[in-house]
Amino acid sequence: MIKHFLNLEWKQFKRASYFQKGLAIKILLFLAVLYFGGIAIFIGGIMFFGLEKAFPDVDPIVMVNNYLIYWILFELMIRYFMQQLPVMNIKPLMIIPIKRNTIINYLLGKTILSFFNFISLFLFLPFSIVLLFQGYPVINVVLWFIAIMCINLSINFLNFLINKSNTVFYGIASVLIVIISLRYFNIFDVTEPIGKLFNGLYNQPYFALIPLLLMVGLYKVNFDFIRKGFYLDGAISKKVKEVEATDLSWMDRFGSMAPFLKNDVKMIWRNARPKQVLMMSFLFLFYGLIFYTQDVYRDMPAFLAFASIFVTGGFLLSFGQLVPSWDSEYYKMLMSQNIPYRQYLESKWYLMVVAVAVSFVLSTPYIYFGWEIFGMIAAGALFNIGLNTFITLFGGALNRVPIELNTKAKAFSNTNGFNPTQLLIALPKMVLPMLLFYIPYKLINFNAGLIALALSGVIGLVFKNFFLNKIEGIYQKGKYKTIAAFSEKK
Amino acid sequence: MITVSNLSKSYNGVQVLNLENLDIPKGQSFGLVGNNGAGKTTFFSLLLDLIQPTTGHIKNKNVLVHESEDWKPFTSSFIDESFLIGYLTAEEYFYFIGELRGENKSDVDALLSQFEDFFHDEILGKKKYLRDLSKGNQKKAGIVAALIGNPEVIILDEPFANLDPTTQIRLKQIIKHLAEKQGVTVLVSSHDLMHVTDVCERIVVLEKGEMVKDLATSEATLKELEEHFSN
Repeated sequence: MIKHFLNLEWKQFKRASYFQKGLAIKILLFLAVLYFGGIAIFIGGIMFFGLEKAFPDVDPIVMVNNYLIYWILFELMIRYFMQQLPVMNIKPLMIIPIKRNTIINYLLGKTILSFFNFISLFLFLPFSIVLLFQGYPVINVVLWFIAIMCINLSINFLNFLINKSNTVFYGIASVLIVIISLRYFNIFDVTEPIGKLFNGLYNQPYFALIPLLLMVGLYKVNFDFIRKGFYLDGAISKKVKEVEATDLSWMDRFGSMAPFLKNDVKMIWRNARPKQVLMMSFLFLFYGLIFYTQDVYRDMPAFLAFASIFVTGGFLLSFGQLVPSWDSEYYKMLMSQNIPYRQYLESKWYLMVVAVAVSFVLSTPYIYFGWEIFGMIAAGALFNIGLNTFITLFGGALNRVPIELNTKAKAFSNTNGFNPTQLLIALPKMVLPMLLFYIPYKLINFNAGLIALALSGVIGLVFKNFFLNKIEGIYQKGKYKTIAAFSEKK
Repeated sequence: MITVSNLSKSYNGVQVLNLENLDIPKGQSFGLVGNNGAGKTTFFSLLLDLIQPTTGHIKNKNVLVHESEDWKPFTSSFIDESFLIGYLTAEEYFYFIGELRGENKSDVDALLSQFEDFFHDEILGKKKYLRDLSKGNQKKAGIVAALIGNPEVIILDEPFANLDPTTQIRLKQIIKHLAEKQGVTVLVSSHDLMHVTDVCERIVVLEKGEMVKDLATSEATLKELEEHFSN
């Protein structure tokens, strides 16, 4: 039986749309997987030595255990947003004589092979091996490693429950909020006892039994959950969400663009995929932390300019590059309705501008790194509004990949908008601001660089109508191709 | 109202539609029948400028469809579920279409109130997104949305498929009323010969992209069509 399942899976994998793409993209994807896997292994390998050097007084394993809880929470969050639920096409199997238990076991077993489980493996396996070479007791290390893996898989199964059941989701979310606020208001730091718990896990190897039981328990809960709902309207159905109606009539003041803007807000709010993008763009806000905290980059302001673009441009870049694709599911309707293309584009433009403005407000804490840095972020925001929006919209015109709005993007199968043209378009988005800053900086001084960057944005704004007209022309020209591409079944 | 001349569409050298001449006067209810692959949907897509003609052109109220967009304000259509915005509720969708066609909320509400029996209490006020409605209910929403904003030309592809019997009968009344009383040009395609003969004044039969029959509907039409399709 398993053989049949595997055969089906293989066909699904081989015939999936992302494999039908060009060889170059396949290679790039493969390299990306290698790259991220490699990074995880590398970090796992040097983690011991890094910690030893940074905190000579504390045993690295203790340090890791103390902060393990954050990793676990991070993983839970990432999985909640990114990991797809294992819905093997179960419908056709329901009426075929296969034991339900077999199907469910297979379904759950399959999730073990999820990419997300391997991140932990790649991280902690090298770390454990290093520990062994450093002469740590074998039993403790091996059982600790197994315990971590069991926790990892527990998260895997927990995620399924969180996604499927609102009670579990709200339960876990409220526990998290309580823990974080307790810690934030310095009432009680729950991470300390948890750290002790993990250390206990290491010191008393037989405690490894607990995560193991936890994992088995969660597996069983999942199993029963699916078993109980093994009907078309049960666990395998898509969750039908109650409508979250919000009154957006205050947006009517935007005049002829209002219907589109309202629609876009609803689109982002009510669909899994754009929500994912929204979350990702929020993470971009922290991009500056990587660059501004390192002295190396202090002397390379061109890189700081690069980072500043990302701080305010997260949403602009990730949402904007897929602009017509967001509406791919009903593009034919838009094209035959009474809609001037210009308004459609302009509303998208406003959306991106608002997003940059909001990000800019949120980025004010960067003042901490000094006014020079903050000035750079401000100049970057102007560039984003005045030029990057148009470059991104132009890039969107060349992008004809349909998007399934309410399906989360899979890790590494997200090749939407990932093609050579997109890469070419991505270049000016990143290199142009660097040049705009760097040349006046080299020739005159730092402030001249800032002014040039900011001014480029202002000039872009002045020529807004010209740019939008040009972009509209390009969209009009590609109309039939875009319609045909969007109506292709994925 | 609609004039077709020398229209043809080919994909990789294979012709899927070839209409030399076709005139559809204002206020006519026009039916298109044919087996799968006869070119019905292709014709409608050309009419809506969703694909480009290989040769020839269509004029909609003297507007060249593939060159100007001026036909859009008075033309509306429902071809398939991809015309719906899945993440909106039915009301939100109707108001959206209304706004696009320059109608305010109360205009749309007034129109919707005429279709309460059509909706059968399953569409309005249900707190459900369109993507979560059944196929039949989605179709009802799409058809009614095509009536918003007093269009002069309405194009419906297979409107009777997936509908329950009550709604089919009601839809027939609606279409007849539109054409006879309001002078709206209605273009309908269907696989159901009975429905088309009931509704349409004129029926055109397509076969492999060619027009093989052009009938003014009479008592004998249904019989003639049935004979045609049984060979």
